[in-house]
Order: sequence, then structure tokens, then C-alpha cells
Amino acid sequence: MAVTTEDFGPTIALEGARKARGNLTQARIRWMVLALVLGFGLVGGRLIQLGMVETDSAIEGQARDVITATRPPILDRNGLEMAVDIRVPSLFAEPRRIIDVEEAVRKLRTVLPDLDEDWLRNRLTGDKGFVWVQRELSPAIQDRIMRLGIPGIDFITESKRFYPGMTEASHILGSTNIDNQGISGIEKHMDGEDVALLQDLGLARGNALAPVELSVDMRVQHVMHEQLLDAMTRYQAIAAAGVMMDIHTGEIIALASIPDFNPNEPATALIKDSFNRITAGIFEPGSTFKTVTMAAALDAGTVRLTDQFDARYGIRFGRFTIDDFHGKHRILSLPEVYKYSSNVGTIRVMQTMGKEAYRAFLSRMKFDERVEFELPEMRVPAVPKELSEVGAATASFGHGLSVSPLHLVTAYAAFVNGGNYIAPTLYKRDVAEAEPLYERVISADASATIRYLMRLNAISSGGSGSQMNKAALGYRVGGKTGTAEKVVDGRYSSNKVTNFFASAFPLDNPRYAMVIMIDEPKAENPQSGTTAGWNAGTVTGRIVQRVAPMLGIAPDFSELLDQQIVPPEARRVFPEGY
Amino acid sequence: MIRNLNIILIFTSVLMLAGVYALKFSIENTASERTELVALIDSQEGELSLVKADEAVLSQPGHIEPIVRRHQLALAIEPVKQEQFGAFDALPMRPVKPNTAAMDSLFESLEAGIDPIDAILELEGIE
Repeated sequence: MAVTTEDFGPTIALEGARKARGNLTQARIRWMVLALVLGFGLVGGRLIQLGMVETDSAIEGQARDVITATRPPILDRNGLEMAVDIRVPSLFAEPRRIIDVEEAVRKLRTVLPDLDEDWLRNRLTGDKGFVWVQRELSPAIQDRIMRLGIPGIDFITESKRFYPGMTEASHILGSTNIDNQGISGIEKHMDGEDVALLQDLGLARGNALAPVELSVDMRVQHVMHEQLLDAMTRYQAIAAAGVMMDIHTGEIIALASIPDFNPNEPATALIKDSFNRITAGIFEPGSTFKTVTMAAALDAGTVRLTDQFDARYGIRFGRFTIDDFHGKHRILSLPEVYKYSSNVGTIRVMQTMGKEAYRAFLSRMKFDERVEFELPEMRVPAVPKELSEVGAATASFGHGLSVSPLHLVTAYAAFVNGGNYIAPTLYKRDVAEAEPLYERVISADASATIRYLMRLNAISSGGSGSQMNKAALGYRVGGKTGTAEKVVDGRYSSNKVTNFFASAFPLDNPRYAMVIMIDEPKAENPQSGTTAGWNAGTVTGRIVQRVAPMLGIAPDFSELLDQQIVPPEARRVFPEGY
Repeated sequence: MIRNLNIILIFTSVLMLAGVYALKFSIENTASERTELVALIDSQEGELSLVKADEAVLSQPGHIEPIVRRHQLALAIEPVKQEQFGAFDALPMRPVKPNTAAMDSLFESLEAGIDPIDAILELEGIE
């Protein structure tokens, strides 16, 4: 432009040219400023825009952190893993990046032939940013898919729960869903506590979570599970269950219920009858409940060990007569009532304290409410609010009311630990932590008498626990059998029974209480019977025989230990103690 | 003067530009190295979790028992019985030493060449 200005005549153009040049420079500067402002504005605008963009990290409505969240490992009381997280690749697709859907479908199906072709095509078509294709694959499959080189297909590492014990502790552990959230058992309970909060905050990543220590001893759990499986075949039972508890701390050492499921395949938990019979099953406890009646009357002080009870005839309630199973039909002392499991005698024991006081004792033992326990699978027991005369009579020997085996084991623990009720727990707890939670339910004297009665039932001739004691000689086990007839078509059936054996050991200084339940057992051989002593009793004996050394209880055959627990007044009935 | 300054400035800016780019590329390299390492750690953590799970399976009592049963005959092992447990209290005390004084004196006298039987025989008149 400078050239064009010089084409004008120099005379008139000199001043004009200078002016024009000045104008031109100014105009240029203005344009430049504008261009710069625009340029910077553009950059600034873009920066703001970038700042405003919210990166969508959600995967199908869930935060990415939730999906990759880990759960703390679960250990048994000796530090053995009961549940661990493993990292597994999960296949996802970004449909908006897939160029050739048909090719992707064809290639994917060479590695994953189980995928439905139409489903996969629909899945990969569209403008979505994230869709799952298949979750929780193996690293080998991940390798093969990566080698296909399909654009828009990738893997994310997910945490998957793995239970190395397989079915063994299934009812304790429960299981998790595909998003690693607990859906049953202690896994669900943990979520209710703090794991869910940690996951929500996005803190539950990596392996930094402190492991959860349970009270369970996997060795004991294994033996119990194995013995229950054995009992299922040996007695052709429809179900078997068992629970063992530390009587001083309330810790559950083992808890098994068969049929069970494999927590690694949560779908197996849906199989019929695989519910947790210990916590979610309620049963008529049968004669095992006589211990409760004895404890109630002994604590109330309405009976003494030397009292005699008339068991010559059945007791009539209107149209009904309650009589003994294989009764002795004579006058029995209190230890004999317990030993021979006399219904008539037990009713008379209960009647000394009256049905209201007896019903109040059931409430004190928390038989009419849910046990305070971590597992979510719990059922409310069925205990009548008020007992009629006949209702109280049947309740005294464990009929006409239903409680869970967990209720029973907790009650037995309280009866033998000196009379303190302690709610069971699945988490580790020591005696010091448990003591503030103690609730006194029976006197220490009554507790000592119950220990004697339980041991008496195991070693005295004719006691229903003698089968059990044969297997567990030397471990000072004592307990009470319970054979509850099942209600079939509205009547009690004598060939379908639920058998219990509630026990404690070693009774000279008790540490563990155990309840074993066998549902609808048959006789093992023609010489044996179907009452509880033959099946639930022997299972108890075999379990104790194997686990006592693991729990640090050495066998001792000296009679002195058994003699120590004989209350002085019992010698008036049995001079030699048993 | 101004021209020299400009030249210097141009050179510096070119140098700085080169420097900035070099830095950028080296950072990109480091970042990709980091990503690689993160991926490596991630995959190794995954493998570790599998190995740990394997270990947990192998140390389960439920896994060990069948193995023990399989080798029960070969190793001649059996579940422990109650009678096999012992305690230090159950061990008997060391038995009292027998009184050997009489024998000792006999041997000593024999050693010394005096046979007590000779005296008796002499007394009886036999030889």
C-alpha cells in the first residue's frame, strides 16, 4: 500500500501520504489488537469449556470406584483366609468407537461362543460410551480377546470375591453379588457396618483394607462340616446342622448347616432347603429343653437335687395324657428325671415353680426374641405369649414351642458358664470384652448343678448321652438328647423326628457348648435306634474327639475330675457320684 | 544495538522453544513409562491376588484332609487317639536304685583274692 500512496502527486500527496500512512498504521494496530483479543478470547473460551467438561466416570449408572471397590479379606481366628478378593478382567465395549459392529460381533464370538449373536449386536450398536459385554473373565480369555485387536473393546480389572474354603463355611460367610456387595451372611453384615461407607467414599481401593477377623476356627469348622456330611449319609437324614460356641466369650467357633451352597457360585444358594438351620430354622427342641426347665426350677429354688418326683403314672390334662417314652414308672429323684428324660417328672419340676414363673424364665433366657447375632438370616422363634396349663406342661419338655438351635446353644452356654447370658458373635472377642455384656440368668449354684446333671447323663448307666461319651472318652463331655417328633398332617409322627444333642465340654472347667441337629435320621444298622443318642449324640462325640485337641483340651481319664463336679447333696441320691 | 538485541532474543526464544518441546516430549515419555508401570503393577497385583487365593485354597483344612487320607496307608498315619496323649505329670518317677552294697563287697573281696565260699567250705570240713 505504501507503493500506491506514492503514485499520487508528491506536491499534494506529501502531507496526505503522511496522514494516510498514519491512519493506515493505526488501522493496522487496531486490526492486530482485534485479532489478538479474538485469538486470546478463543484460547480462554476453550479453556473455560474444557474446565466445564465433567468426565463421565460412571459405568452404567454406577461410579467406577464402586465397581472396582475391594472388600477386606476375612480371616478365621488363626489368620487363615476364609474370603479373599481376586482381580479379574471384565470385558466392556464403547459402542461409539466401534467402527464395524458386524466384524466385532463375529470376532468376539470366536472367543466367547456363549454370547448370543443378536444380543451382542444390539449391545455394540448405538452411541453409548460404555456397555458391559461379559464380566469376570479369566486372564487367558483376556489375552485372546486383546489379540483380536477390535477397536472400542477393552478390559477393566474388577475385584471378585473368592472363598477358598468352598462350601465349608458357606452359611457363615454368605456371598456377594457381581458388584462385590454382600448379599447374605457376614458379608452382608459387613456392608451394613463400614465397608459400604468406605466404598461409597471411594476409599475401598487397592489392598489397603484391614482384614476382618472372625471368631470361627476353620479346623473345627472343617471337622464339624465333615462329620455332618458323614451323618447325612450314615443316617440318611434330610438335613444336619451344628454350632459350637465359646461359653465365656460368646464367640461362635463353628457353624454349619447341610445342605449348604458354594459361595463362589451364589446361584447355588437358591437351591431349596439350603437355608441356615442354625439361625433361620426354628424347631421344637424336644427333651434338650428339659435342661432349661431344670435350670429354671433350680434357680428359683423350688426344687433341690434330692427331691423325689412321682413318675408312676402319666399326667392327665382333660382328654390328653402325657406319659414317658420308655418310662420307668416309679418315683424318680431329680437326677433320674433328667437322666431317664422323664416327661412326667419334668412337668412336675416345672409345676413346682408355676407356669407364670416358668414363662418369665423363658423370656429371661430370650427364647421369645431373635438372638442378637450378626447373620442377617434370622427367624423369630415361636413361643406362646402365655402358657396354658397343658401348654406349660408340654413346653417343659420342649414341645409346643419352636426355637432355633442358636437359642439352644446360647442357653446351654449360659447354664454351664456360671449362669451368665452372653449373646453369640462371629467376631473375635476376649473374655474382658465379653464380661460387661454378661447378664446373670441363673445362680452359680444352679449352673454347677446343671453341669453335674449333663455329665451324669453321659456317664451314668442308662443315661441318654452314653453313646456320645463312648467316642469322646476322656474329654469330660456331657449333654442332653432331644428327640422331637415332627408334625405330619397335624399329628405328631413317631417315625419322622428331629434329633438334637446339646452338650458342653470339658465339664470340669467348661469352655465350649455345642448343639448338633439331625433331621429325620434313620437307624444306622438294625441294632441301633433313631433316637437322638444314636445319631446326634454320636456325631457330637466324634466331633469332640477330633476338635478337643485342636482347642487345647487334653484328654484325662482320671475319675477325680468327674468326682470334683458332683454337688455334695447329689451323693445322697448316688453315693458314688454317678 | 536494537538489532543485536533482537537477534539474541530470537535465538533465545528459538532455544527456549526447543527446550520446552524437549521437556514436553520427555515428560510424555515419562508419563507413558509411568502408565506402563502402573499397568504392570496392576497386572502383577492381579496375579498376586490369584497366587494368594491359591495359597489360601492349599492351606484350607478341607483341602489338606483328602490329601492326608490318600496317603494314609503309605505314611502309616492315623487320627490321634485319646490314649496317645500324655503329660509330664503322667510319667513315672525314676525307679529307686537297687541296693547293691552286698554284691559290691563280694566282688571287692573276690578281686582281692579272698573267696568267701572257701571259709564256709573249710568250716564244713569239705576240702
